[in-house]
Amino acid sequence: MRDRRLTRCVLAFAATLLVPAVVHDTFLLRVFTEAVMWIGLAVTFDVLAGYTGYLNFGHSAFFGIGAYTTAILMVRAGWHFAPAAALGGAAAGLGALIAGFPTLRLRGAYFAIATWALARAIQELVLMMDLTGGPDGMRLPAFLSPRFFYYVMLGVVGVTFFVYWFLLERAPFGLKLKAVREDEQGAKALGLNPTMLKIQAFILSAIPTGIIGGVFAYWVTFIDPASTLGDLVSDQALVMVVFGGMGTLIGPVIGAVLIFAFKTLFWAYLSDYEVLYLIILGAVIAGSVVFLPDGVLGVLPQRRKEVRNLA
Amino acid sequence: MPEPILVVDNVTKNFGGLTAVHEVSFQVRPKEIIGLIGPNGAGKTTLFNVISGYYAPSRGKVLFHGKDISGKTPYALAGRGIGRTFQVVKPFAGLSVLENVVIASFLRHPKRARAEEHAWKVLEFTELTDRAHQSAASLTLAGRKRLEIGKALALEPTFLLLDEVVAGLNPTEVDHTIELILKLRYQGITILIVEHIMRVIMRISDRLVVLNFGEKIAEGPPAEVATDPGVIEAYLGGGEA
Repeated sequence: MRDRRLTRCVLAFAATLLVPAVVHDTFLLRVFTEAVMWIGLAVTFDVLAGYTGYLNFGHSAFFGIGAYTTAILMVRAGWHFAPAAALGGAAAGLGALIAGFPTLRLRGAYFAIATWALARAIQELVLMMDLTGGPDGMRLPAFLSPRFFYYVMLGVVGVTFFVYWFLLERAPFGLKLKAVREDEQGAKALGLNPTMLKIQAFILSAIPTGIIGGVFAYWVTFIDPASTLGDLVSDQALVMVVFGGMGTLIGPVIGAVLIFAFKTLFWAYLSDYEVLYLIILGAVIAGSVVFLPDGVLGVLPQRRKEVRNLA
Repeated sequence: MPEPILVVDNVTKNFGGLTAVHEVSFQVRPKEIIGLIGPNGAGKTTLFNVISGYYAPSRGKVLFHGKDISGKTPYALAGRGIGRTFQVVKPFAGLSVLENVVIASFLRHPKRARAEEHAWKVLEFTELTDRAHQSAASLTLAGRKRLEIGKALALEPTFLLLDEVVAGLNPTEVDHTIELILKLRYQGITILIVEHIMRVIMRISDRLVVLNFGEKIAEGPPAEVATDPGVIEAYLGGGEA
């Protein structure tokens, strides 16, 4: 059953590989690339939010750290893109390790506030430093191949997804995280070290986010503090995860695709009503918290049966 | 006389100015069932938390198999063979009954398939097999208490701390749980049990340790302790009774 689902995922992934063969329009391929990126950001957000029970409002910091590390290494040190982006992921992972020890002791809203504040602090820091270009941002060497970026983004997100699937759905790690989410004190009595598990989850969430940030930087060729370190990355990932279905791998993917499709169509046809977008996004999040506690995934017929069996 | 498996040596636990447990000492020998009793607020659960690593003792120490374990973390102690249940049962509510036990099984069986196999055995032992795929939140109180015991058992402990696993159950369920506890002892597990229901504690304990206001006021076989004037006073109040 679970394996049939994986087969479907593999098939869906194979189909996405064919997108550039069908889509020749550059703008459209850009849209697809960004959709894949948001899938990655939502899935990585959910490792902490859904599986471990921590809403990380500093998710954008990992994205930005990855983007800036990649940019600095490429522009200031003349590195190639691949090692620079890899180091961007490592830097984000290191950031999670350092930020995790103090923040992961906090629960609920306090963790959300602490991570949000940390992300703001990093944004301010980047705004002030010469190394990062301050408010002017950084321009990366342009490499204009939409197809290349589509495949790189897909590769990073695809590998992330299947590594996550193995660790969270197959290996004991995912269940252990859920135990910590449900009851940290109780988990300790069963031989689990919650601090260690949470730090591992934080790092596991941060590394791919940093790499995605690195790919983003090279792809859009220009980054500034607002576009990579701003609130929107965290907020939008949160909406996608909650809307799609927390604590699962497929939920965030569905949420990311639907929300991103909505966003794209909105900007394409209703950009005059720009201000409405955030209002609608807010309404969607409020609505899905109240009416779809298990997200869109929870109302799919097959899933609903499962959920009902559990109840 | 065999070496004691657990030695509580002059343990004191303060919370700020409040002394919850004061200079308590007793020993538990292998395969014994020791009942820990006392009125509400006597310090039973605090003592449990000290022994299982949730609190470090303010003074004194706890020895397990002759080694000082005071201040070790609960998960380290689980690894050494100490299992515990919680007075307020808190299953991982969002997970299935099976998953609850599988998580505990990882301690001795790190591979998922082996852990699952082991969990099924524990479910059979605790008679939860037919509920395996239900959410743990959907269990009745009796079921939750059995699950709590099952999770502790899945750790394959040599020493088990049971905190009010009988309270709140109906008489049939009580008998059922007593049977389960006696079966565990038969398997060679040493048990320290906190319980308010005297009928239960008198029936299964080899010895009782009585706490009142954080201090040990009596220790001995159930029949002896039940007639101890100090114990009667603690439970029924002063001379006017």
